[in-house]
Amino acid sequence: MRFTRGKSSIILIGALGVLAVAGNGFSGTGPDAVVLDSLAELYEPVQFNHAMHVELAEGKCAKCHHHTTGAAPLEPRCLACHKGGIDGGVYACRDCHPLKRFEADYLASLTANPQLYHNDKPGLKGALHRNCLGCHVDNGGPSGCKDCHPRNAKGDAAFRAEVVAPPAGHKSGGH
Amino acid sequence: MKSRSRSRRRNSHEQTYQARILKEKLFLGLTPSAYLAQALRNPFNWILAVIYTVGLPILIGRFIFGLGWVTHSSYDYPWGLFLGWGLFTMVPLSASGFMMGTTVELFGRDDFKPIERLGLLNGLLGYLFAVVFLQVDLGQPWRLIYPMFVSLGPAAVLFLVAWHVATYLSCQVAELVPAFAEWMGMPRTKKFVKSMVLGLTVAGIILSTLHQGALGALFTYAPGKVHPLWYSAPFQWFHFICSAVFAGLSMLIVVSTITKWSMRWRCDNEFLGSLDRLTLGIAKGAALALITYLAIKIIAIAHDNDWRYLVTGWGQWFILEISVGVLAPLVLFTMAIRNNSAKIARVAAFIAVFGIVLNRLNTALITFNWNLYQEMPHWREVVIVVTIYSTYIVVYRAVLARLPILFRWKE
Amino acid sequence: MKNFNRRNFLKGGLATGLAAVATTSPRPAAASGSFGGYPNSMGVLVDFTRCVGCRSCEAACNKEQGLPAPDKPFDDLSVYEERENGQQRRTSEKAYTVVNRYDKTDRKSGPVFRKFQCNHCNEPACLTSCFVNAYTKTPEGAVVYNPKVCVGCRTCMIACPFYVPAYSYSSVTNPVIKKCIMCYDTRLKFGRPPACVESCPQEVMTFGHRADLINLGHERIRNNPGKYVDHIYGEREVGGTAWMYMSDVPFEQLGFNTSLGNEPIISYVKEFLTIVPMVLTIWPALFTGFHLLANRKKAAGDDEKPEQKQEEKQS
Repeated sequence: MRFTRGKSSIILIGALGVLAVAGNGFSGTGPDAVVLDSLAELYEPVQFNHAMHVELAEGKCAKCHHHTTGAAPLEPRCLACHKGGIDGGVYACRDCHPLKRFEADYLASLTANPQLYHNDKPGLKGALHRNCLGCHVDNGGPSGCKDCHPRNAKGDAAFRAEVVAPPAGHKSGGH
Repeated sequence: MKSRSRSRRRNSHEQTYQARILKEKLFLGLTPSAYLAQALRNPFNWILAVIYTVGLPILIGRFIFGLGWVTHSSYDYPWGLFLGWGLFTMVPLSASGFMMGTTVELFGRDDFKPIERLGLLNGLLGYLFAVVFLQVDLGQPWRLIYPMFVSLGPAAVLFLVAWHVATYLSCQVAELVPAFAEWMGMPRTKKFVKSMVLGLTVAGIILSTLHQGALGALFTYAPGKVHPLWYSAPFQWFHFICSAVFAGLSMLIVVSTITKWSMRWRCDNEFLGSLDRLTLGIAKGAALALITYLAIKIIAIAHDNDWRYLVTGWGQWFILEISVGVLAPLVLFTMAIRNNSAKIARVAAFIAVFGIVLNRLNTALITFNWNLYQEMPHWREVVIVVTIYSTYIVVYRAVLARLPILFRWKE
Repeated sequence: MKNFNRRNFLKGGLATGLAAVATTSPRPAAASGSFGGYPNSMGVLVDFTRCVGCRSCEAACNKEQGLPAPDKPFDDLSVYEERENGQQRRTSEKAYTVVNRYDKTDRKSGPVFRKFQCNHCNEPACLTSCFVNAYTKTPEGAVVYNPKVCVGCRTCMIACPFYVPAYSYSSVTNPVIKKCIMCYDTRLKFGRPPACVESCPQEVMTFGHRADLINLGHERIRNNPGKYVDHIYGEREVGGTAWMYMSDVPFEQLGFNTSLGNEPIISYVKEFLTIVPMVLTIWPALFTGFHLLANRKKAAGDDEKPEQKQEEKQS
């Protein structure tokens, strides 16, 4: 369990998952549940049911994990490089998608290596939302903000939930 | 005892002298009560009384409650009538100052001398009240001197306008000092200023060309917002200075006509006798400016290839403005000159002034944001404009009645 | 010509010379062309294919900039129905950024959402039109504003082609311009992204060096054939802007002005600005010349000897 000071990190609960590393290829189903709390400042943590999603994905890990579990990627254009899928050795989203996507040092790292192809990789928050919401919307899963992570008190304040909307006809658009 | 009564007599002499000055200069030789009586008899003053009763509280309210109280607080239409009328319309109509100065002092046309001071006064008061309107419009009018002394932005067109209007106002005040000096009996002041008249006049025409043009150039900042028929990046400044020439000249004819009707008692025979001849002379200048303006307007449309806009609704509005504001006065001025009719010239001048008002309001307000929605000014804005303009008329009338503008001061 | 002696000529010349000096503005060389932005300045690439209209960016901006409470909470999506004078919401003194929804676009699967704020142009119209130099284009890329010198002339609001700056008309004693400053004071100065960028759950906005973002945007278009309109709005418009946009539907359908051209707004004013020094230098000589021309007969008369004049008088 790793903690970074003052920041949240993803805590893997359920050490039951077999995480075969060292070149053998990934051959498990990962953890049953994951708590995603990188958003803990404004929202309650997400209780992510990994086991259910494994079932829904019908064993195709690549649906969410791209090629990093060793399975061939589903998008044809990725096959050009990642033919059979390459087991990256790390499988959690946050292992590849940075928490702080736009800090100066990470930005510098993108341009430092001219051979780097994936320089448009989203940060963790963007990756989680963009990867999940597409399927959720298509398949009737939770798609509203509060469906997955309700707001805490600070979040309510940030969204100015205390404001009462004025009656209709009120000019507010600024014209 | 003797010395005390002598000093008492001397003091009372001075007091009567001061009182006499007050009576003569301020109250035009009447007693205060007689002055008030004649003021109350004048129906125009009744209209003014109504205007001030309604308008003065609202004008004061602008400074207590802020701009949000007297305007629609529009972000899309940041400029309203205070600038649209007070600055953009009043400034070209006040161009008579440099026109008359140039005509008499530079071109040596002493035959225009009888009307020169009226032209100068028209110029001075117009610019003075343009500054008043500006102070009402500015969000922080107490920072008026910032572009001059605190934080300069010299690349901006408005920077030029600010400096030039300030300098030009001083020029115009100086040009009218001789009239003021005659009125107050200060011959040395008059002589001193008169020695600078050539420099003042040349400075005046430089400053006027540039700031009249700059007022037009302000709109070049908004290429997509002003309708193409009223917009021209290369020629906008020229449209504004050229139209200012006939605007100032026409306004001078209009003002001289109004004073002939309503302040005849103040005009001397030299003024009245030469007015028709002078009106025709001014008409010639106005006609030349009108035809030049028309030519450059057509060239500007050709330059941007805006012909297709002429067949739209806005195009019809444009053709109306050109017909009424440019073509009609041009034809009438020409007729007046050919037929030696000052009366026709006066009609032309009134129409030309209306045309200038229409053109400036079109550029600044009506065709501005032609792609968005139309905005009507707030009623308080209208009230304030009427109030300040009435004050301009009141000051105009007061000066004309006292200073040697319409008459020659007899030593 | 009366009084045309050396003293009066000098007086006149001095007056006009002073006028010239006082009002001639220092200007860059006519052939210098556009600015193009500072070399390492930052920018933001906005991708409308990703925006779902959650308004987290509006909330984050409100908090970061200490803006007053809005009329409706930020999760109230009924704001997308609001119309004033037939127009959708725009930036105001209380909102430096707004998101609007566009229903009638080429996108079949649903509405398009568009976030809108100051574009932080390379050669901003607001900056070039300000006569008290209240705006500054920072090397980091943000266009910031100094309320301490603003007189309230509102020319910047006239000049901005994107209708961005708002004015706090409601204030009596200190009305000022209100607009997005790319979180310069609290974040950009320290190399951190603006609050809205950080808050976006869909990562609609990508923050980075402007030059890199342009490459990134074109790569994104190339890697997703047919997905995007092959154009990055703001790459060149009005001289280039720090905030640039990518879309899957034509930009006109999202309220973008696509007829602005690539010239910065100042280019439209330069023709007048070049006239200024010409008038200041030519007019004095020209009009003094007119004066000499007008008084030529009088000048000729002065040359006559006094005896000749006497003779003419007697005869």
